[in-house]
Amino acid sequence: MIHYKDISTMYAGDFMALDGINLDIKDGEFVSIVGPAGAGKSTLLRLLTREISPSSGQVVVDGVDLAAVESDSIPLLRRKIGTVFQDFKLLATKNAFENVSFALEVCGASDDEIQNDVPKVLGIVGLGDKTQNFPHQMSGGEKQRLAIARALIHRPRIILADEPTGNLDLVNSYDVLKLLMKINELGTTVIMVTHNRDLVNAVGRRVVTMEKGKIVRDQVEQGKYII
Amino acid sequence: MFKQKLTRVFWAGWTNFKRNSYVSFGTTGVMVLVLLLFLSIIALSFLSSTVVTSLQDKVDVSAYFKQQASEEEINQVKGDLESLAVVQYVEYISRDKALEDFKQRHAGDALIQESLAQLDENPLQASLNIKAKESSQYAAIASFLEGNRFRTLIDKINFYENEQVIHRVEGITTGLRNGGLAATLVLAVIAALVTFNTIRLTIYSQKQEIEIMRLVGGSNWYIKAPYLIEGAFYGIFAGVVALLVFYPVAFAVSPKVAVVMPSVDMFGYFTGSIIQIILLIMAAGVGLGVISSFIAIRRFLKI
Repeated sequence: MIHYKDISTMYAGDFMALDGINLDIKDGEFVSIVGPAGAGKSTLLRLLTREISPSSGQVVVDGVDLAAVESDSIPLLRRKIGTVFQDFKLLATKNAFENVSFALEVCGASDDEIQNDVPKVLGIVGLGDKTQNFPHQMSGGEKQRLAIARALIHRPRIILADEPTGNLDLVNSYDVLKLLMKINELGTTVIMVTHNRDLVNAVGRRVVTMEKGKIVRDQVEQGKYII
Repeated sequence: MFKQKLTRVFWAGWTNFKRNSYVSFGTTGVMVLVLLLFLSIIALSFLSSTVVTSLQDKVDVSAYFKQQASEEEINQVKGDLESLAVVQYVEYISRDKALEDFKQRHAGDALIQESLAQLDENPLQASLNIKAKESSQYAAIASFLEGNRFRTLIDKINFYENEQVIHRVEGITTGLRNGGLAATLVLAVIAALVTFNTIRLTIYSQKQEIEIMRLVGGSNWYIKAPYLIEGAFYGIFAGVVALLVFYPVAFAVSPKVAVVMPSVDMFGYFTGSIIQIILLIMAAGVGLGVISSFIAIRRFLKI
């Protein structure tokens, strides 16, 4: 499903964010990527949405070499992937319904589909009664659940969660984790970058540990947060 | 499908405009000032062109004929002059007409009337009043008359007495025209820059939203279009407000202008061409709004 082949990424000032990464992620996997700050975890995710390109190496998603994707086609690539961010990245001037429907609109969904699907997904993440609320009227946990609803709405095959619980308390963190696991059970590949030891251990699935831009450990089954 | 997308971006633009009410109010306010500036430029250009025209109307050249010149000969000179491309019209004033005009002009002056009555013969000369298309062409007309086959019948050409005045008028009208054009261009550029920067700041405040839309998979067009619509709304509202402010002001100022320039009806000019003015201001508002939004948003779409 996802292949990183000999990936190196150099940021300005000669900072090596990723150094010779080789990683294969299968369809339907739940992968937790852990490691200290600056280890290159988020860079790994940003390569998948073509926010950045590697300095060398090849990233292949669903059989498509991302280097070959024209800049005009990047939106199409991003529509195949749902992304959840630590800072939620919600549209402040749109309400909950509109935040989620925007992701469907850009995919060209009809008005009927939008009217049917958006309330359903908002219901799944527990925001069925907050469809008209704006992000500033929501708690941190609700914002992240809204972000997950937006990531889910167009039924992507991959969900990227970059520190999805970084701004949440313990209870909300577990709620978000449960949602991600539920999504994964339905067949979606989930890649979660996190610092949260308890969450990683609770998932008990594949854990990739990074340090200084390299993969230092890859526990394919029953992985634990070990640094 | 296209209609659906168009409807969506239209409503997204309108919703942005409504929800960012403070920002929209500020941006529209700035655009109102800019459009009022445009309207003032139009008013000034109307006034200056009226001044130029009235100054030019006051200038002409007359050729006075000796007593022995026959009407037929004068008409031949008139015909020669009318064949010139630079001549707008030529008016023949016979000796009798000149006397009649003179009497009328001095109808209240008993001394003049008495003196005229004592004369046996009409002392006034027949003349041709020549109006050129441009004030700069009088010298050419005067030299044409100098070289005319009936030059011997012409007593005097008053161009030489009026030459300095004509040159001065010419200088003033050229100055007003060029100065007006330069001022219009400078003010128009300033107005466009102010609008552009205001809208750029407005869009800058939504920079993060644009970035998020990109990350969610919005195409450039789908992200850009609502901002262009929003820019058009700034222009439409600003245009309406500017016109609502301008016309009452023009109505109030017009009589004061008429005191200084009695032949000028400024309000009449603006009501007479109200359709063109509305179209022009709306087009300027919408154009400025959309183009400014277009340029401003380009920067934030490179994510």
